Amino acid sequence: MNRVIRRLAIGLLACYALLFVQLNVWQVGKRAELRANPLNNRESVRQFDAPRGPIVTSDGVVIAHTVELANNTRDASGYTYQREYPTKELFANVSGYYTYAYGATQVEHLYSDVLAGTTAKQQLLAVGSTFNNVDQTGEVQLTLNSELQKLAQRQLGTREGSAVVLDTRTGAVLAMYSNPTYDPNTVAVHNNDDAGAALEALADAPGKPLLANAYQERYMPGSTFKVLTTATGLEAGFISTASEWPDENSWTPPNTKNPIQNYGKKTCGGDMFEVFRRSCNIPFARMSADMGPEVMVNGVEKWGVGEKLPIDLPNAAASTFGGEVADFTDSLALLAIHGFGQGSVQMVPLHMAMVAATVANGGAMMKPYVVAKTLAHNGTELSSTSPEVWRQPISPATAATLNTFMVGVAKEGTAKCCLALAGGIQAAAKTGTAQLNAPGKTQRSHAWITAFAPAEAPRVAVAVMLKGVNAQISAGTGGTLAGPVAKVLLDRALKVVPQ
Amino acid sequence: MTGAAYVLAALGKNASLPARIGPFLVSLLVLLVCAHIGVRKFAPGASPLLLPLATLLHGIGYVMIARLSDRLAGLQATWSLIAVACFIAVLVALPRVADLLRYQYTFLFLGVFLQLLPLVPGVGFSSGGARIWVSIGPINFQPGEFAKLCLAIFFAGYLSEQREVLSTGGKRIAGVQLPEMRTFLPVMLAWGVSVVVMVAEKDLGSSLLFFTLFVVLLWVATERTGYIVFGGGLFVLGAFIAYNMFGHVRDRFAIWLDPWSQYNGKGYQIVQGMFGFAEGGLSGTGLGLGDPTRIPAVKNDFIFAAIGEELGLFGATAVLAAFVFIIGSGLRTAIRTDNAFEKLLAVGLTTILGVQAFIILAGVLRVLPLTGVTLPFMSYGGSSLVANYMLLGLLIAISHSSARRLHEVPQ
Repeated sequence: MNRVIRRLAIGLLACYALLFVQLNVWQVGKRAELRANPLNNRESVRQFDAPRGPIVTSDGVVIAHTVELANNTRDASGYTYQREYPTKELFANVSGYYTYAYGATQVEHLYSDVLAGTTAKQQLLAVGSTFNNVDQTGEVQLTLNSELQKLAQRQLGTREGSAVVLDTRTGAVLAMYSNPTYDPNTVAVHNNDDAGAALEALADAPGKPLLANAYQERYMPGSTFKVLTTATGLEAGFISTASEWPDENSWTPPNTKNPIQNYGKKTCGGDMFEVFRRSCNIPFARMSADMGPEVMVNGVEKWGVGEKLPIDLPNAAASTFGGEVADFTDSLALLAIHGFGQGSVQMVPLHMAMVAATVANGGAMMKPYVVAKTLAHNGTELSSTSPEVWRQPISPATAATLNTFMVGVAKEGTAKCCLALAGGIQAAAKTGTAQLNAPGKTQRSHAWITAFAPAEAPRVAVAVMLKGVNAQISAGTGGTLAGPVAKVLLDRALKVVPQ
Repeated sequence: MTGAAYVLAALGKNASLPARIGPFLVSLLVLLVCAHIGVRKFAPGASPLLLPLATLLHGIGYVMIARLSDRLAGLQATWSLIAVACFIAVLVALPRVADLLRYQYTFLFLGVFLQLLPLVPGVGFSSGGARIWVSIGPINFQPGEFAKLCLAIFFAGYLSEQREVLSTGGKRIAGVQLPEMRTFLPVMLAWGVSVVVMVAEKDLGSSLLFFTLFVVLLWVATERTGYIVFGGGLFVLGAFIAYNMFGHVRDRFAIWLDPWSQYNGKGYQIVQGMFGFAEGGLSGTGLGLGDPTRIPAVKNDFIFAAIGEELGLFGATAVLAAFVFIIGSGLRTAIRTDNAFEKLLAVGLTTILGVQAFIILAGVLRVLPLTGVTLPFMSYGGSSLVANYMLLGLLIAISHSSARRLHEVPQ
């Protein structure tokens, strides 16, 4: 029998040799192919389902963090870590969301490496502790203040629109909120189907809640645009503080029969200070037509109109003057209308806040930013944002002149009603009521204000835009509707930003 | 080694030392030392390789189970205790394995009874598609695991007595020497019953295992290659019939050929197993650092895929090598003993272990269509562990008694 047993041994050995060969096929031969198979999501899931650092406001409020499910447990989708947004919709437009199937947006997207701890610096810091499996995740600290942000949310209430508060000297974003928005927790669910359904519903919802309207959308600015027109006139030497404008209620631009009227068909005129304060339309229309397409287009382009806003968040929108030089050459009437912020001029709310901040900052337009710094898990600073000048659209002298004009608006102009700051601090502002429909149709208008304070030594700037989606908003003006919001935000922001 | 692996697994998974590492290591060591002392005391002449290899497999399997689920690890630890106790009991109870020969028919009936037990209404139940479970009071177990041992003892006993008749006697029909029906009948009956039961219980893997055991023992006992040819033919016929009769057999076959087309259905497990192997590569992801829980049934049938993922080609090869060495030691035991019954029993037991491991490893590796059996010593499951330790006890006892007859150890 022993002979047969030896044969049996050889047979079994051959069987196991076969297993060994096949083991090599899977683990070595076809390894790369299997790992690259689109059905194999081990790699991507492992990257996704991992610890991830928090996103924190300047006052220490955690707006996004990752929680680990109870030891050794997984949820129905097989994950152990859940990204959570404790402040719900309050910071959705800044934090963005973090999902497996639908990627990430905003800070979650741009700073994903830091949060996950995969930047080269973080990897280096973790070397030497390879075997303790230390937490390598990073932290992102924002410039935004949670109290100010909450105030913006409360002030907008159910009204659609955006509010942006900036530090005029650095460009740091102190608050940026828009309504409608969404709760990122509903999108960051692990079930891919649920997440997809939530995103689809948000994409179809009115008011584009998924878009951060404050910096990803643009709207007709109305009279707030007169700041840019005035600045262009002053810089080009077409106007000065001494310029006088006739008292009139109608003016017909060259080569057209349609007259231009002032807001509310009023008769309006006077010196530059007066027409700016009362926001007459005709002087700015005349001014634009006089300057001509080239000066006007070049003038507004100096402010970055037409360029993507340089904020440290993805997919920022660009404001638009609504046409090139050639478009206005044969139509000075169109140029005149655009000169006071009507027609197809569109400004991003954030950009409008940057306009006020530029006037406040002596003409230097700072790059807006939301991330103050990033930290490794042990507190080592990985990066910090240094304030940078984006462009210098106007001289300090022009800025000083515009400052006095805007103080006039706050003191005794269109914002007089609503912009008296606490402690007698003087604000400077420009209001806007952007009329969306042609005369004769149901009137719809956006209510705008852009302002800064204190006028003599500015620290903070604000832009508030209430969308003219209903009759209630459209019945008001920038001063009466957006003004009170700006006042509350400026009052609070002055406490946040020290002198 | 197992203790070190356990610590590593816990570190990889939780980044902290396991809280119960002290008691765990001590109880594990005590258990293995007990087994070792048992062997030294009751079977000092036994092959020195068998127990260490088995405990190595047991240890790696246990660490992997502990890494997959804390709860199962606790249960498996209890079963380990029972298994080692049974192992020692076998050594104590069987100073002379050859004595079992007298009870061969008892074992036949016991084997058939155990095999039929899951089909008894009220006691047996199905789980995972196969009706191989029995529930008595709070304990659930798979009697089939023990039936294998009983039937191996019966086959070995019966064939050792009838081998002369089977290899020579009988009529010649068309030049082929047929064994006498009278002596052949009980074996056919035993085999037939177990195969029929397996089909009724839908446990293909065990069915294949029984069949192989039967054919191998006939072959070894009679030294006639014709039995292998005959058995091979029967197997092909059986496979063909099963393929045409049973939908689940066709499914298994189709998945084996092309698991990708059924990725979202029945092919998911095997594809995930392949992904696991690929992820492991040469050296593996490291214990606790892979993601083997994506593979369904990873704790029992697919535990080898988890080993391939976390310990890599090196770890998986070590496991294969351990099985090869156990088979080698088992067959060497069979060659060394001069008692025909012991020889056949050693061959039978080794075949059960080696072929069962091969069937499931081949299934997981896609060398053969997948049939669900446990991987001896490694998979989660009490019945399997206890039965395999008893099997090991028998092999060691045979090894010892042959050494004693060869005067390698004092009588």
